[in-house]
Amino acid sequence: MKLTVRQIVIAGVMSAIAIFLGASHLGFIPFLAGTAITIMHVPVIIGAVLEGPLVGVIIGALFGIFSLIQANIAPTGPGDLLFRDPLVSIFPRLFIGLTAYYLYVLLKRWNRIVALGGAAVVGTLTNTVLVLGMIGLRGYYPWPILVTVGLTNGPLEIVAAVLITLAVVIPWRQIESGRGKEGF
Amino acid sequence: MEDFELLRHITIGQYLPTDSPLHRLDPRVKLVAFTLLCGAFILGSGPAGIFMGLIVMLGLLVLARVPLHYALQGLRPALPWLLLLAVLQLFMVRPATQSDVIWSWGFLNLTIGGVQMAVVTLCRFGALILLVSLLTFSTDVTALTHGAERLLRPFQRIGLPAHELALVATIALRYVPLLAREMEQVMKAQASRGADFGRGHGGLIQRVRRIFPLVIPLFLTSLERAEALVLAMETRCYTGGRGRSHLIQLRSRPGDYVTLGIALLLTLAIVGVDRWLLQPNLGGWLAHL
Repeated sequence: MKLTVRQIVIAGVMSAIAIFLGASHLGFIPFLAGTAITIMHVPVIIGAVLEGPLVGVIIGALFGIFSLIQANIAPTGPGDLLFRDPLVSIFPRLFIGLTAYYLYVLLKRWNRIVALGGAAVVGTLTNTVLVLGMIGLRGYYPWPILVTVGLTNGPLEIVAAVLITLAVVIPWRQIESGRGKEGF
Repeated sequence: MEDFELLRHITIGQYLPTDSPLHRLDPRVKLVAFTLLCGAFILGSGPAGIFMGLIVMLGLLVLARVPLHYALQGLRPALPWLLLLAVLQLFMVRPATQSDVIWSWGFLNLTIGGVQMAVVTLCRFGALILLVSLLTFSTDVTALTHGAERLLRPFQRIGLPAHELALVATIALRYVPLLAREMEQVMKAQASRGADFGRGHGGLIQRVRRIFPLVIPLFLTSLERAEALVLAMETRCYTGGRGRSHLIQLRSRPGDYVTLGIALLLTLAIVGVDRWLLQPNLGGWLAHL
């Protein structure tokens, strides 16, 4: 497993953003009671799209570890206690980068912007489905509740993730979006 | 979000260079001891063990010459939720026998078992928070990552890039306070130009849209900073971890092994005291009052 300097640095910086969004609660947009729309998985998606699946996995792992630490040290809500279980906090997050990256590569040749959007959608879905799935498999909450949470939180989280990903990656790579130059 | 002081939330990672015996220990020993004690607090469930562990943590903080009131500040953000959890446990624990129940109302039972669990939970969280603070107060991040890297080095033979991962972690930890400071500035600048960051008002869509002008510049400036860092590293001929020697060599001293032994004993004590030594019977004890 070889990591270039750029991959190391992007992994570090994106992980810092994910951790910061979690620690400062900027990444939580409260929604009804108890749950929140989160955007802390977006750095994972962006890191994976920019630098590859390995970087995505690393950022996801660091995000998950921080999630675990935060749940143990500074729980900020009733839902936080679930993340004390590493299978809920770390394991699902490893896959966000993988799914985002592979979908991006698949769609890239067709249309870069759609590829980015798709990566964000898939990454967010991976996060939501796998985290809720692990919560369900471990028996912390009954499935109907989890499905409801997923269906209510999911769409808005996906939209937010797509918008942020596009707003960050397009200018960064100066992708042609009708005007502007092509610089990928 | 109306408070601009984001840096306040990041106090748990602070390093206090007070040059105590704890500070001079090998970081690898501290990491291993930390993991052992973490496990002890999470797995141990007896009140005597956890309480003893908590006292030991406070004692270690004194040994590390950390001002106690500063360390206890780390508990403050978690306090509301801990108390809520404790209250829930007070009432939700099913009574073992009828004599356990002190007061009941409908399906809520205040049992002695519940009181015990609530106290244990509070002590456990307190101890964990203090343990983490102890580690970060007495070990600076560079030392921690050196220690982590040395501990993971045996895995390099099976392909785990220990050095690179340690570097990723160092970079991430190093940038979090920077991001906090920057975010404060951006928020204040935007607020002074009329942006509205009032907590909670406006619909959900409004709240989501309010995040964008903060988060997107955060990403973009971080990416620019990343580019600068890559350039800096490459111009200084950084080529990765293969064959890399280190300026700081970690050498363990006898004191380190002693500490490791003490940590092991402490772990066993915390987990084992209640199981093997005492058989606390708070119900019977309280009945004598």
